[in-house]
This record gives sequence, C-alpha cells and structure tokens, in this order.
Amino acid sequence: MNLEDIRKQIDILDGKLIKLLTDRMEQALLAKRFKTEVEDKDREQQIIDKIRDNAQNLLDGDFLVMLYQKIIQESKELQKKDTKIIAFQGEHGAYSEVAAKSWNSNYIPLPCVEFADVFEGVKEGIYDYGIVPVENTLGGIVSQVNDLMINTKLFVSGAIEIPVNHCLVTYQGTDHREIREVYSHPQALAQCRGFLARNKLKGVHYYDTAGAAKMLSEKGLSNAAAISSVLAAKLYNLQIIKESVEDHEINRTRFLILTKEENVEKGNKCSIVFSTAHKSGTLFSVLEKFAKAQLNLTRIESVPNEKGNYAFFLDFLGERDDQKVSAVLESVKEITEQFRVLGFYREKNIQVIL
Amino acid sequence: MENLKLAKKKTPNDKTIINIGELKIGQDLIVIAGPCSVESEKQTVETAIGVKNAGANMLRGGAFKPRTSPYAFQGLGLEGLKILEKAKKETGLPIVTEVVDPRDVTWVSEYADVLQIGARNMQNFSLLREVGRVKKPILLKRGMYSTLAEWLNCAEYILAEGNPNVMLCERGIRTFETFTRNTLDLSMVPAIKTQTHLPVFIDPSHGTGKKELIESMIYAAISAGTDGLIVEVHINPAEAKSDAQQQFTPEEFATIMNKARQLDKFVKDVIYRES
Repeated sequence: MNLEDIRKQIDILDGKLIKLLTDRMEQALLAKRFKTEVEDKDREQQIIDKIRDNAQNLLDGDFLVMLYQKIIQESKELQKKDTKIIAFQGEHGAYSEVAAKSWNSNYIPLPCVEFADVFEGVKEGIYDYGIVPVENTLGGIVSQVNDLMINTKLFVSGAIEIPVNHCLVTYQGTDHREIREVYSHPQALAQCRGFLARNKLKGVHYYDTAGAAKMLSEKGLSNAAAISSVLAAKLYNLQIIKESVEDHEINRTRFLILTKEENVEKGNKCSIVFSTAHKSGTLFSVLEKFAKAQLNLTRIESVPNEKGNYAFFLDFLGERDDQKVSAVLESVKEITEQFRVLGFYREKNIQVIL
Repeated sequence: MENLKLAKKKTPNDKTIINIGELKIGQDLIVIAGPCSVESEKQTVETAIGVKNAGANMLRGGAFKPRTSPYAFQGLGLEGLKILEKAKKETGLPIVTEVVDPRDVTWVSEYADVLQIGARNMQNFSLLREVGRVKKPILLKRGMYSTLAEWLNCAEYILAEGNPNVMLCERGIRTFETFTRNTLDLSMVPAIKTQTHLPVFIDPSHGTGKKELIESMIYAAISAGTDGLIVEVHINPAEAKSDAQQQFTPEEFATIMNKARQLDKFVKDVIYRES
C-alpha cells in the first residue's frame, strides 16, 4: 500500500458516491410524480432522524445532518422544475439512452428493466416520454416492441435514427494484451464477430451492453473487456481500448418516441397500424391507395397477432394538414380492421454522435 | 538463395504491386513521411497535415519504440495508435507504424495500414511469423548487420505464413565509418531487384542520421530506382523526443518533395522507360 494506491481507492469511491447520488436524485424526480406538493416536512424529519441514528466513529451526527439537508434541498429544487422524464430499457449508458440524449438533451433519461415497463410507465403518466428501438440495419426488427405497440395504445410523437458505434472498453489500467473474454449483448457480439476473431477474444453473452460495462467497473475485472457505447465507458469510468469495432460500417438503429397523448406538433412523417381480412388482395389494395396518391412509404412490417392474423405497421412521408393524406387514411380505414394512426411526427437522422 | 520459394523473382519482369486505397506500391513512387515518435495528438496531427500538403502518400509515426537504452522514451503504446488513427481521420493518409511485440501484432493491425518490422527485429522469427498471419502489408527493414540473402530469407518467413504483401526497406548498415549514423547502402536497390519481385524502399533519415545529407540521398535513391522513400518529418524537430538531428520541418520537406517529384518523372521518362 502507498499513497498512490489509496488515492486510486478514493477516486473509485468518489465515482460510486456520485453514482449513488444520481440514483437518489432520479428517485426524487419520480417521487414528485406521486405527490402534489414538493415540501413534505414529516418525511424530511423522518430522513434526518434516521441519518442521525447512523452516526458512528468517523461520521459525526451534525456533519451527516448538514450533508443531508443539502441533498434534500437540492432534491426539492429539482422537483420544483418542470423536468421531462424519458424512459428507456437497459442500464444507464445503453444505446437507447444515447438516442434519448440526441433527441432532446434537456430530458432526463431514466432506465427500466423491461420494454413493458417503459410502455406501462408512459401509459400511467409516470414518465413523460418513452424511447424504444424498432429496427437495426444489421439486427433487423425488435419484435417485442412491435407487440407492445399493438397492445398498449400509446402514440408515436417522434423518431430518431442514430449510428451505433461499438467500443471495446476495459477497467482502468487493463493491458490490452491481457484481455481474454469480452462481455456484451449477443447482438453486439455478433456485430463485432470479425474483430473478436482477429484478436482471439472470446465473446461472453450478457443481458445488456451497458450492463456489461457496469459489471466490469463494479468487479474491476482485469482480463476482460466489454463492448458498449462511448457513453457507457464514460459513465462507468472505463478506458476505451478501441472505437468502432463493428464489422460493418453501416450500423444504425431507429428509435420511436412514445407518448400517452397524440402528438400535436408539426411533422412530416406518419405511422399507422392495421390488420386486414384474410382474403386475397387486401394488403395490395391498401398499398395501392398510397401509390395512387404518390405517398412515399418508408417502412412496412408485418407482425403476427393473436388471431392467427397479421398486423401491419406502415410509415410514410406525409403531413397532418395535407388533404391528400387525410383522404388516403380515411379510405384505408374503411377497408382494414383495427386501424389506428400512431401519430404524425418529425424524424431526426443523426450522422455522428458528439 | 535457392531456398527463396516465394520471395525469388520468377521472370525478369516479375513485380509485386501492393494496393493500399488508391496507392499502387511497386508502381508509383510512394513517400512515407512523419515523426519518428508519436509524442502528442497536436504534434502528430499537425505533422500529418504538413506532410500531406507537401505531397506525402502515407504517414509514419512510432507508438512502440525499440530504443537502445531501456530508460529512453519507449513510445505512447496504445495511446499512440489512437492518435495515429485520429491523424488518419484528419488527413486520409494511411498509417505506417512499427510493431515490436508479437502480442501486439493483431492490435496494431486494427489501427495501422502497414506494419513495420524495425531493423533490430529483422531476424525476430516469432515476430515475423506473427505478422505473416495478418492481412496488412509489412514494411521489413534491413537489419544493420545483415546480408541481402539474410534479409530476403526474413521476407520469406512472412510470405510463407500467407501474407504476400511485403515491402523491403534499406535503412543503412554498420561499417567502420562513424561520421554518418549508418552507411546507406544504395546499391541494394538495383541489387535486390535482380533477386526479388518485392518493392524496395529507402530510409535516408536513419541511413545517414544527418539532416544535411538526407536531401542528396533522396535524389540518389530515386535515381537508383527505389519504389519508395520513408522520411522523418517533425513539426518542431528541436523538441523531438527521439531522432532530433534527422527530422525535417514540414516546410523543408515540402521544398524537397517538389524537386523529388520532378526528378521521379524525369528518371521514369528517361532512365527507366520500358521500351
């Protein structure tokens, strides 16, 4: 042990403290969604009392109380602001969070365990927005999300496509020559197969890219790496060994922004969902209407639904106020079942994440 | 030299052309320029822009440095490779950098376009085998005590592992002369061309170790029919962490390059024109 070792430990502990404080602030933000007034004197007293009980050896009671009064003050300031919450699936540092930050950097991204939690939370009004991936240029569609789109009646109020740049990240101080195993989501590992093979690295499946980064940082593994976003490397204080380790240059993911209410802002894109009767030519007659009105389709996807039938997702370029668009939608509604307009919205296309 | 199954010329016109992006090595005069060592992002990127504007085709820069003394600057390692990658992004110049440790070979290949085997490692056979297994071209420098036959046998090690893209580089040998850092053996250019189809480069910077001699040797090498040159250029040579005496400023280099390109055209038109 020497001064340098101890200082390293202190830096690690500071990182953890900041992380815990962030988690606490996130919970405070959520708490506001369940109460009408910011101020709650009883609850504050309850916290202060409990904290004073924890005073021991090095931690003086008065110091702890002073520290906590500061924290509670800051939480209240946060609750007073009109902060918008955008929920995403995964750990902090997930590509969905990268997309959320690129969509609107003023929104506060909060992590959820499952996609269903994102949808439920938006439906219940706990989160203002949800952000979910729908398709990736290499990995294809995200079927879970499509199912939830059909079954929970949320609206689409925006879309964003971002480049996915995978990085090989390690715990600080790891020698690249010592890396043997690489943890990440199976899809990320598959996208970097060539890189892993060239460097004789073994891919190990993990539930999430950012989760793998978090695990490395918590365990301090010195002979392993993770594949994750630059954001995850930054959040978990990891070193980036190599950026852009994916085998194909064009690796992009498209995300939808979900809201409880229909979007009213201007936009040039529209998403609809419908199913058709089990007869020949029904889908064709829908597509024909778009073709005749010269509306450009940007996505069409079929998803098997419960009745042994198919639901179709269709995106096209068109504006709400356009007479031609409303006429087509009206006529499509007549010849389809379970027709629903998910929303008119604008779409962002990000080339480089800064 | 009977054992050179792959390195040996089969016919008089047998010649290997190596493609890197638009570059055709073995056909056009290729100039690799840049600092001896990658010292910082600023120094490397600024030098890269300087040599690019002067007309260089590739960027050199050492991230892993084999030094005579273990206490001398050993290079920035992986950090240096990341800096070279940034310089490539800025200028589009392909990267040439040395690899000294067999464990680094695949990693250096992820960043570099050409892997250099330095003079001191010419006969490091395990390193040669390792670079023979990657898909990037190799610049094999001549060891300072090596004969032509020994040098070509080292190229054979790389070729035998399945990597067909080897460039040879003469960088001066040890003789009794101490006025120059090494004795640049320019006769090697025509000599080696009688034996092998591989392209040959000249490194006049290490070959002389003296700035005032490098320029003449560049012109001499072009006249001798070299396929390429590798020249040390530094944005601020006086403050360089290694080889301060043999690095040009980008301005000095630009003036020489201008003359060198004209000479190359003349030499190709008049001396080496295929009739």
